[in-house]
Amino acid sequence: MSGRAPVLEMRGISKTFPGVVALDGVDFTLHAGDVHMLLGENGAGKSTLMKILSGACGKDAGEIRVNGRPAAIDSPGDALALGIRVIYQELNLVPQLSVAENIFLGAAPTRWGGVVDWRTLYGNTSRLLGDLGMTLDPGASVSRLGLAQRQMVEIAKALNNSDASILVMDEPTSSLTSREVAQLFSLIERLSSRGVAIVYITHRLDEVFRIGRRITVMRDGRHITTRPIADVTVSELVRLMANRDLTEHFPKVRAERGPELLRVERVSRRGALTDITFSLHAGEVLGIAGLLGAGRTELARVIAGADRLHEGRLLVDGREVRFRGPADAIARGIGLLPEDRKAQGLVAGLTVARNIALPHGRRLSRLGVLPRHCEVRVAKPIGEELRVKATPTQAVRLLSGGNQQKVVLGKWLAGDVRIFIFDEPTRGIDVGAKVEIYHLINRLTARGAGIIMISSELPELLGMSDRILVMHRGRIQTEIEAADATEEGVLAAALGLAS
Amino acid sequence: MIIASSAAPPGARSVDAMAPPTSRAHRLLLPARQFGTVIGLVALCAVLWILTPHFLTVSNLLNVAEQTSINAIVAVGMTFVILSAGIDLSVGSIVAIAGVVLGTALQAGQPLVVALALGVATGFACGLANGALISWGGLPPFIVTLGTMSIARGAALLFTEGRPISGFDAGFRVLATGRAGFVPAPVIVMGIVYAAAHFVLTRTTFGRYVYAIGGNEEATRLSGVPVRFHKTMIYGVSGLMSATAAVILTARLNSAQPIAGMMYELDAIAATVIGGTSLMGGDGTLGGTLVGALIMGVLRNGLNLLGVSSFLQQIVIGGVIVVAVLLDTVLKRRNRT
Repeated sequence: MSGRAPVLEMRGISKTFPGVVALDGVDFTLHAGDVHMLLGENGAGKSTLMKILSGACGKDAGEIRVNGRPAAIDSPGDALALGIRVIYQELNLVPQLSVAENIFLGAAPTRWGGVVDWRTLYGNTSRLLGDLGMTLDPGASVSRLGLAQRQMVEIAKALNNSDASILVMDEPTSSLTSREVAQLFSLIERLSSRGVAIVYITHRLDEVFRIGRRITVMRDGRHITTRPIADVTVSELVRLMANRDLTEHFPKVRAERGPELLRVERVSRRGALTDITFSLHAGEVLGIAGLLGAGRTELARVIAGADRLHEGRLLVDGREVRFRGPADAIARGIGLLPEDRKAQGLVAGLTVARNIALPHGRRLSRLGVLPRHCEVRVAKPIGEELRVKATPTQAVRLLSGGNQQKVVLGKWLAGDVRIFIFDEPTRGIDVGAKVEIYHLINRLTARGAGIIMISSELPELLGMSDRILVMHRGRIQTEIEAADATEEGVLAAALGLAS
Repeated sequence: MIIASSAAPPGARSVDAMAPPTSRAHRLLLPARQFGTVIGLVALCAVLWILTPHFLTVSNLLNVAEQTSINAIVAVGMTFVILSAGIDLSVGSIVAIAGVVLGTALQAGQPLVVALALGVATGFACGLANGALISWGGLPPFIVTLGTMSIARGAALLFTEGRPISGFDAGFRVLATGRAGFVPAPVIVMGIVYAAAHFVLTRTTFGRYVYAIGGNEEATRLSGVPVRFHKTMIYGVSGLMSATAAVILTARLNSAQPIAGMMYELDAIAATVIGGTSLMGGDGTLGGTLVGALIMGVLRNGLNLLGVSSFLQQIVIGGVIVVAVLLDTVLKRRNRT
């Protein structure tokens, strides 16, 4: 591997956004067959570097060489012609079309000048899928596929031209189950053995050691180190990423268990939830585990008033409540941190302060008029408490993922919320911000709040919860004291194996 | 595997440490985009001044302002709607029906205040009906307001049997013909409407929600904002603005016509987008819309003074709309990456 010229060399890449140096003279080298883990906290510059590589964004300075030759990448088309393929977190498929149509979108084989040659199309697709070891029906509609399968389609689409030599994957496992992850990893192994160079961006350190060959760590827009995976340990890696010693495990602090805040009694919602009963006490973190589609998010939305329940009842402080919308739930002190912060949590064009103050307009205003700077006054101490790296008057769009998540959290810290529902609170955010969120959870429970935490990361769920409910197909499969829980036990229940 | 620290990380920067350069740069860039349209307006005026000496006289400029006032007022409502990521095609028809109700009430001998209230209430009610169907009915704004456009126009024609209602008291016509000093009454009304609407948009919770709904409706709903109510009110505002324009138009023409306000929706949309408001919602200002309306008014006036045929005028105005939005898009893209 070391004898041949690298597939890709990026030298001294710099990029400045208005007011922010995103990349500062970054070097990055990639060899054929490498599985290269690109690591760093959010805002470290990984995504920007890959955007420059894929032509989605221009560079201010630096040089790119592909297969030893200088390459001018000014548009996504240039990058494609050079054999560079990027698979983003948000998949770009047309759900209404079939697997084959998506893979050959814009490049379908045709006859008689424009009529799609379906037989060749399906034949080519079958051959490609077989080559990649994927068991997918070429004729299946993408809308019927699960997320992992859609990801497979995306990868097959990226590789349908044989000249793909560099494949970039940005957090490909963030919404996959562990079996799907294993499938993906064996595919990566196969691609790597065929000589495809893979850049893999992730926040999950266990994955780094499972499939990585080399690692590159970035921090604050700079290249920190590149080395073989054998030369690095987990704690060293975390230190390199965060530049701070993270020695302790989950910083869980048990708070005193107070009175019952919320009781969910025999709640059902057609097609999503069946007969859910549990209660949440003050000072408690109630973890909810389950696979994708087990009904965790649906449960969160019903409690937060975003969706109606069809049967059963909710009691807050022992009194029955009926929510006609999120406003009613908020009035009873329930705040939801939604699963998808971009689509459900934030108004990207508004400032940090206006996002944080959004649920509190009525309280802050007098006869509908907002006093000058009232939003900034509310948001400033919250921004400081959460260490949001931005001023209150900055647009949320310009913030990194971790900081955006803190802004969504900030919305509920500004009010009288006592029941927090966190749906995947640490998804896609960096280690430093994760720890800050864990500390925040401790502070909230110490103040007597109750927290429902939905998470797909079992270590986090086991480390931060007091009790864990495991959901399977819309039902509560089992309830476990966190102290007695093991990852294997929770996973088995989530798969519906134990009761 | 996740490992955590208890102590404050030494590398963490304070809230303000890195922010000032970003926000300063941002503050400088945003007005630059606003200035773009203002510079366009000034340049347009300069060219017309060179081409025709009549253009830059006080009387002509006041004339332009007066002619612009009706479109500018309708465009206020359109800006609210477009900021919320909607569209209102019914504004022109609402101008007609509000004018017809007003004119009928005046001719029936109703006191001025009652007639005005009836006309304005008609416009507001039409807007609320639009909003209610969009928010509670879950229908696309384009479809609902397209329907209202036809219904309101038909109602106005039916109600008047297609005939204009003409001849009103001087006490009413003063709303168009009156002057405070040398400033025509419609320009004063326009000023008051813009000042009030600007206050609502920038200083009230309603204004915040307009931007928030346009930026991300689901996130706004999950924040506990009564989105349906406020969306209904947004279309109500649009109807209110159409009715206000109808009052001025009726006074100016000394006649309420069921065919009034044809194509006003397109002028109002044009003024709004020339002024830099994004059709995707969540981004734009009323100041921009006023400049956009003035650009259209100045252009029409200037082309008239130059004796350009009305056919050619349409082509020029269409070109200006496309070029203005193109420039705005290019500027925004440059700011972003």
